[in-house]
Amino acid sequence: MKKVAIIGGGATKCGKREATWRELVQEAGKAMFDNVDNISPKDVEALLVGAAQPERFVFQVHVAPMVAEHLGITPTKVIATTELMCASGQAAIRYAWACIASGMADVAVALGVEKMFMPDMAEAQTNMTCVLDREWDGVNAMSAPPFFAMTAQRHMHEFGTTKEQMALVSVKNHHYSTMNPIAQFQKEVTVEKVLQSLMISPPLNLFDCSGITDGAAGVFLVPAEDAKKYTDTPMYIIGSGQASIGNAVNNLASITEWVPLKLAVKEALRTAKISVNDIDIAELHDCFTISELMEYEAFGWCAKGKGGKFIEDGEPYIGGKIAVNPRGGLLGCGHPLGATAILQSIDILQQFRGEVSRGRRVKGAEIAVAHNLSGAANVHSLMVYSRG
Amino acid sequence: MGNIEFEKIKRPENIKLPHMLDFYPLEDEKSTRISQFFKNLKEGRLTTTKCKECGNLLWPPRIICSGCLSDKLEWVDLGVEGELYAFTEMKAGPPLGFVQDVPFCIGMIKIGGLLISARIDDARYEDLKIREKVKLKIVELEDGRVFYRFRRIG
Ligand SMILES: [Zn+2]
Repeated sequence: MKKVAIIGGGATKCGKREATWRELVQEAGKAMFDNVDNISPKDVEALLVGAAQPERFVFQVHVAPMVAEHLGITPTKVIATTELMCASGQAAIRYAWACIASGMADVAVALGVEKMFMPDMAEAQTNMTCVLDREWDGVNAMSAPPFFAMTAQRHMHEFGTTKEQMALVSVKNHHYSTMNPIAQFQKEVTVEKVLQSLMISPPLNLFDCSGITDGAAGVFLVPAEDAKKYTDTPMYIIGSGQASIGNAVNNLASITEWVPLKLAVKEALRTAKISVNDIDIAELHDCFTISELMEYEAFGWCAKGKGGKFIEDGEPYIGGKIAVNPRGGLLGCGHPLGATAILQSIDILQQFRGEVSRGRRVKGAEIAVAHNLSGAANVHSLMVYSRG
Repeated sequence: MGNIEFEKIKRPENIKLPHMLDFYPLEDEKSTRISQFFKNLKEGRLTTTKCKECGNLLWPPRIICSGCLSDKLEWVDLGVEGELYAFTEMKAGPPLGFVQDVPFCIGMIKIGGLLISARIDDARYEDLKIREKVKLKIVELEDGRVFYRFRRIG
């Protein structure tokens, strides 16, 4: 297997955008090509498009050829859309990586996109109800907020986690997103503000939930041996892990412990030949505040059930035990499903290059992980990136 | 250049709820091989499939066992009383088709060795408690299809 590098990328501003799906693709595509010298659309041999629900949000399928058409790409090796709901963008990165690592292609693009704002937001919410098993869980209105609300309720019940501790995740990630110019949310929040925000699905308030977001982003992948032809500062894929257990609520390994994440972490560390203490930046999937607390636990940065205490002690801040979501996370940046993992990877690349603003820069960072969960947290996907 | 035609066109004002936005499964024999589940439900029985080879209790109901891949399955009763494992209330952001019901409670219920999700009727979030007993309730749609919910016993 060849070592693979990410040599650059570009993204749109995220949020409620006055732009269509295909315009988001064009904005991200232009930003992506503008970011790397010596590469043109005609060089791209493999195109993987991460898109979770274009058939629902914009009533369009067969979207990878549309992306290719709008960016002047004419793939000769691989073209496909990748769907893994909230991890669709990471699926695109993973398959683009496999295309390069296997020697099948020499230049691959992973581009993620989601247009989630619709004229009637109840329709957008409907789309989120076919993510879990639609006939047996979705039918009960089990979209993401109720599922994660019950996860939070059980975590509070079993481990004494508090709403204030959960709110601290939102406070931290909104703090970092104020320094991220493409983030959806640019304002600080306080614990009080989180607790007073609209109750969505108790115990989750609005600011415990990541947003509905429009956005797109793309990156280039090439063999590591070619990377310096394009940039002095590539980043490398050094490991990965991905695990899935069950799907319907009855068949999950556990509600309060994400066993597939523990497996994915173990595999990611094994393949990258690192220990968890070698990680300098963790871009974790904070779709809800409770998620990030459970992720501290699954990575082993703190004991099971102690995620709340971990953030109370300031440990997931820059300068603490591990810098978690210095990008601003999904809570601060928004969560344009298919684009999220690509946005994470671009921000990590910019961290390695020292291009992010000082207030959220992780100095001397060498190794980063990017994590996405999807569905009923039954699937966890992890990439490990390194600067050198 | 002045004779370009402009015409207003009409689309139907009401469209029948399309199947793709209907959350409830099709349940007749022509549509599914687990129609027995819904027949049992019409009799007030919550059932599922159990593997005769390895004994696995399967949910949702299946036509093969995901444990041993046998297709020798039988229908077993799960009982009509369950225990609340977790619950929440849909207060904001409901999907289409649920808007008129807001607020309503949703739970994960331990019943007959399973953990299943279901609507909890006749309750507000503040009323419910973890481990509270709940009882099976059947709802019937306009077209005769049925589905299960739960309600408080007290
Ligand atoms: Zn079996």
